[in-house]
Amino acid sequence: MIEISSLSKSYGRHKAVDQISFEVTRGEIVGFLGPNGAGKSTTLKMLTGFLPPTSGAARIAGKDIFRESLEVRKKIGYMPENVPLYTDMRVKEYLRFRGGLRGLSGSRLRKRMGEVMETCGLTHVRRKMIKTLSKGYRQRVGLADALIHEPDLLILDEPTNGLDPNQIRAIRRLIKNLGEKHTILISTHILSEVEMTCNKVVIIDEGRIKAADTPENLVSSMRRAGRVTVELQAPKSEVEENISEFEEVTRVVGESLQDGWYRFTVFAAPKTDTRLKIGKLAAAKKWPLRSLSRRIGTLEEVFIELTRKD
Amino acid sequence: MRIFRILYFKELKSYFLNPFGWLILCFAALMQGFALTATFKQFSDNAVPESLVFVTFTSPIFGIYFLFLFPVLTMRLFSEENRSGTIEGLLTAPVRTWQVILSKFGAAYTTFLSLWIAAIVHFYLFTVLTDVPPPFTNGELTGAITIIALMGMLFTAFGCLASALTSSQIIAGVVCTAILIFHIFLGFIPLLFGDQIPAAPFFEFISSQSHLREFSRGLIDSRAVVYYFSTTAFFLFLTFHLLDFRRWKP
Repeated sequence: MIEISSLSKSYGRHKAVDQISFEVTRGEIVGFLGPNGAGKSTTLKMLTGFLPPTSGAARIAGKDIFRESLEVRKKIGYMPENVPLYTDMRVKEYLRFRGGLRGLSGSRLRKRMGEVMETCGLTHVRRKMIKTLSKGYRQRVGLADALIHEPDLLILDEPTNGLDPNQIRAIRRLIKNLGEKHTILISTHILSEVEMTCNKVVIIDEGRIKAADTPENLVSSMRRAGRVTVELQAPKSEVEENISEFEEVTRVVGESLQDGWYRFTVFAAPKTDTRLKIGKLAAAKKWPLRSLSRRIGTLEEVFIELTRKD
Repeated sequence: MRIFRILYFKELKSYFLNPFGWLILCFAALMQGFALTATFKQFSDNAVPESLVFVTFTSPIFGIYFLFLFPVLTMRLFSEENRSGTIEGLLTAPVRTWQVILSKFGAAYTTFLSLWIAAIVHFYLFTVLTDVPPPFTNGELTGAITIIALMGMLFTAFGCLASALTSSQIIAGVVCTAILIFHIFLGFIPLLFGDQIPAAPFFEFISSQSHLREFSRGLIDSRAVVYYFSTTAFFLFLTFHLLDFRRWKP
């Protein structure tokens, strides 16, 4: 659905996006993550044809974003950051206008307007002026606008920015439902959102792609993912020596707890599980063991690991 | 064409479905009334060799409020879209940049043209309500309205360009006024430096003052018509590239 190859964008000397490449296949919900100023919005603006790339190319549904911009724009439903709307229009009027621009007319336009207002929960505010609506409702109007022409690809730039927790849940549910029919690219820096809705994550920082994979793979391959903590009652040096002999283990750090027990942190390669070996070792050596746990990473940790500046 | 129509009517609504357009209409009718009344006064005080139409449309009152109309009509067009960010939504929809520009220009120009209905009615009323033979001919009125329409076209294009330059309505209004004043000022160059300088006819031609005088005498000059159409196209072309600039800047 989206093929991006070596796409770059510079603003003067500043490289906002630097040679990024990734692909999104049809039907995926992709979370586009990155800290503030990482180049997320710039990338999305290039994909929607609002900004030209400095170099590189991208294709959406097989069409070049620059040369066949008009064709590409027909296939995209785009909700820009902060959802700019014509605030002196009524919701219905706005959707009619936007639907018209996307080539809908007559009964088809009326039908689609009814459907998107229903989907986005706008039916009861359809006669209100947009300027009187709360941020959450404006966000929904933006989403309804992006959906009205049943686009193949939905591009949402921070769709839950500035919403209250209830509204965030509602929008998230909506996105998840939409994912059944559409390919969705969501830019955000709210990680729980991605964990719950997306089946692929692309992490960008300082204009470069840091990772692109499923959330599960990212979590399991992070550096800290193989780490195991064990609490034993045994001589510290002996334990450290024995566990260090396992091939995947890089380092063992023991610390004395106040009640006569020791806690050992075992640093091991990602995607490995040393728990079984440690358990067997403790049993063989008859060391009393009271806790043995493997760290389950979160996307947040992956994100921090990949984008930390220090 | 359908997209253009949708955009055009949306813009036109933004003039007439809120008090803004009606306020301008009211202001123009009022000022036109003043200009006409002042001319009547002049006619009643002493003998005037020119027609009522000519004197009205070359009076200082007309000059002042006429130039005031364009910044007010056009300053919002692009700058407001830039400020609120709606330009992003507009230009990422499958619309062509020229459709956006022509629809905005067209709506502002239509609004401008509607302001002259009051002026035409005023002159018509004079012939209907008084038993005095009208101190103007239809040719003079047609000429005057034609040149106002032509000047309005070019000046609206100035306004579009000024509005596309910035995201502040006020700056857009000031820039538009500056361009208009400069344009009118060019007509004063022959007065300042004398008719004898080689460039005098050039300056006389590109400024609107002599056109206004000629057309209000009923002389419709095709060179001026071509001039206004081509310069309008040029300024809209500049606006197009200004708006499209972000699409090809490095």
